[in-house]
Formats: sequence, C-alpha cells, structure tokens
Amino acid sequence: MVEFRLPKNSTVGKGRIFTAAPGASNVKNFRIYRWSPDDDSNPVVDTYEIDLDKIGPMVLDALIHIKNDVDSTLTFRRSCREGICGSCAMNIAGENTLACLKPIRDIEGDVAIYPLPHMPVIKDLVPDLDGAYAQLRSIDPWLKSDTAPPPDSERRQSIEERAELDGMWECILCFCCSTSCPSYWWNGDRYLGPATLLAAYRWIADSRDEHAGDRLDALEDPLKLYACRTIMNCTQTCPKGLNPAKAIGRIKELQLERKA
Amino acid sequence: MSNPKKPHVTVMRSQLSRARGLGSGQAGVGHWWAERASAVALVPLSGWFVIQVFRLAGASQPEVAKWGARPFNTTMMLSLVILTFYHTQLGLQVIIDDYVHGKAHLPAGLLMKGIVFLLGLFGAVSVLKLALAGSSRSTIAAR
Repeated sequence: MVEFRLPKNSTVGKGRIFTAAPGASNVKNFRIYRWSPDDDSNPVVDTYEIDLDKIGPMVLDALIHIKNDVDSTLTFRRSCREGICGSCAMNIAGENTLACLKPIRDIEGDVAIYPLPHMPVIKDLVPDLDGAYAQLRSIDPWLKSDTAPPPDSERRQSIEERAELDGMWECILCFCCSTSCPSYWWNGDRYLGPATLLAAYRWIADSRDEHAGDRLDALEDPLKLYACRTIMNCTQTCPKGLNPAKAIGRIKELQLERKA
Repeated sequence: MSNPKKPHVTVMRSQLSRARGLGSGQAGVGHWWAERASAVALVPLSGWFVIQVFRLAGASQPEVAKWGARPFNTTMMLSLVILTFYHTQLGLQVIIDDYVHGKAHLPAGLLMKGIVFLLGLFGAVSVLKLALAGSSRSTIAAR
C-alpha cells in the first residue's frame, strides 16, 4: 500500500536555532531540513536567523551565506547559480524550485527549505536522484537515425520542424517536476515521471529522429506513461516555465493516433 | 563475520535494470481512451436523467411504471446504467493502480470489478423489469 505516514526514522524533529548577530535589522528565519547518514538520529529542522541586508536576493545566496559564515556542515548541491545547471533544485516554501532563481522577497514569513520530496536523502538538502537518472537513460534520450547524415554537413531541419522542439530543449533535468508529482511519489519505481516523459517526447517530436514508433512502443504501458493522472503539478512547479503535462498529453494523443 | 550494524543489502540490481523493469506492458491506451469516451457519453445521459427525475417528481407509481416502459426511456436508462458502471470500474481501477501495490493489487482489482459488475447488473435488471412488467400490465389492462 501507499505510505501516507512517514516511517518512524523519518519523522522530523526540532533542531538548533542559529541567532542573528545583535544589531541585525532585516532578519528572516530560514528553517532548513537537516539529516546526516553519519549518526543514527532522525532528521531535524534547524532555524537560521539571517540578516537579509548582508546577502544577495536569492534563496541560494542565503544558503551559501549559511555554509560560508554560519554553519559549514549544511550540505546542498549548487553550481551555476543562474538556473541552467539544475543542481540546486529543492523544496522551498512548499514548492519545488531552483534556489538560485527563487527570490527571498517572494516568500512570506519564514523560509522553509526541504530536499526534493519523496526521494531518498543522501544528506541535508541532497536527494538521491540515481533512479530518476536511470529512468531518463531508459528512454534513450539521444538521436536515433538509420539514414546516414550528409557527408559534408549536419542533419538539417526546417524552421517549422525545429520549432516543434521549443518548450522541450530548455529542460535542465532538475527533476522539480517529477518529484512534485503524486503519481511519481506512489509509483516512481514504474512511472517514468514528467521530466523523463518530456525528454521522451522531445525525441519523438524531433524530425531528424527515425525511431518514434519504437519510442512509443516502449512508453505504451499502464504505469510508465499512463500513471500520469493530469494532476499538473509538474507544469505548475517547473522553474523554467515549461509544460511537461502538455508533452505527456501529446504522447497519449500519438498512442491513440497510431491505433486507428 | 558480518557487521551487525551494517544493514543487509537485498537489492544490488543496477538502477538501469530497475528502471527498465519488465519493459512495456503494451497496454493502457484502450483504458485511457475508454475512460474519456465514456465520461463524454455520460454528460448528455446524466443531464437527461436529471431532467426526467424532476419531471417525475411527485408522480404516482403507475405513471412512473408507464414512463419506464417506453422503449426510448428504457434505452436511455440502460445506456446510463451500463456506461456509469463501466466508467466506475475504469476509474476505480486507476485508484487501485495508484494505491494498492504488490500481491494485493490483482485480487483488489478483481474484487472491485466483481462488485461493480453485480451492482451494474442489478441496475440493468431493475430497468428491464420496469420495462417488461409495465408492458405486460398494460396488456392485461387492455384485455
């Protein structure tokens, strides 16, 4: 059965409070999920009082400030800090997004920060995405063409054919969408999830690819594809403003189209 | 020998092997489409039924029996009953797929389909009884 409650060793306790320096005027509380595999204790939520006048505007700026100046044990992924690498995906104020693209001023009250939901946690805000990456690998996210490319040039597309890929090539694989999806929480072992299905449709829709039929065959499954219940969390949460639900809808349309 | 603090690992299968699983079931399109087609068909049928219920409000038993004996009404009622329970079964299957995992999945689906089938059959038999009994009574009355 589906798990409606957290397992005992996952219930979250109260953590430490890191108070702001005296004289700080513009203080906001950051309540951050902490768990370490190095001891046997349950996860806790630590509270960091941060002077917003001392840091940049984004949530990632606060996290970097905490790690550099307050508590170096805080663990999170980040790299580009401008929304193109997808590393700092996490659940901020109840919504999966990229810490580097989320302005602190958009959040009312305390800023609650958790790792991406329903994934195994490696440490603090770092989720284990191995399963999601393997699912992406399973749909063969690369060009498959039996026709040899022209000897002296690249494979060509019309302007219209290239436009078909807009809204899909921009995906940075942060997995905010997949980990926001209840279907992926309940059936993530079999349902591929919106990020992987968006990638699958990106190759089905590519005019240079010659294996759309094989790709549709591989997706025609009650759970791999059809566990999508059009909940639309994926589209609502995507920090890049993409629409994975639409791509999944297109795959379902194509599955129907080739039956008749 | 083995470290008692170290948990025993039971799954060492690769992530890709787990992601690929048993491959594609080559199913799902029919279920998905039937769910949507039956939902669309139920919109006019349900609307018609609601109007009929209001029209028959306060009617006597013979009046309702006469209404139920008309072939058009019988056809509409049978369509409504059959499609409603067909759609119910499709929808409940989705819920079972979502929330019941492992060995309980197959029996849960069978039990649900059995119950929905019997309820639907009960509805269809009731509609037919009204249709056929009504006609025989009117034959007797005509004599």
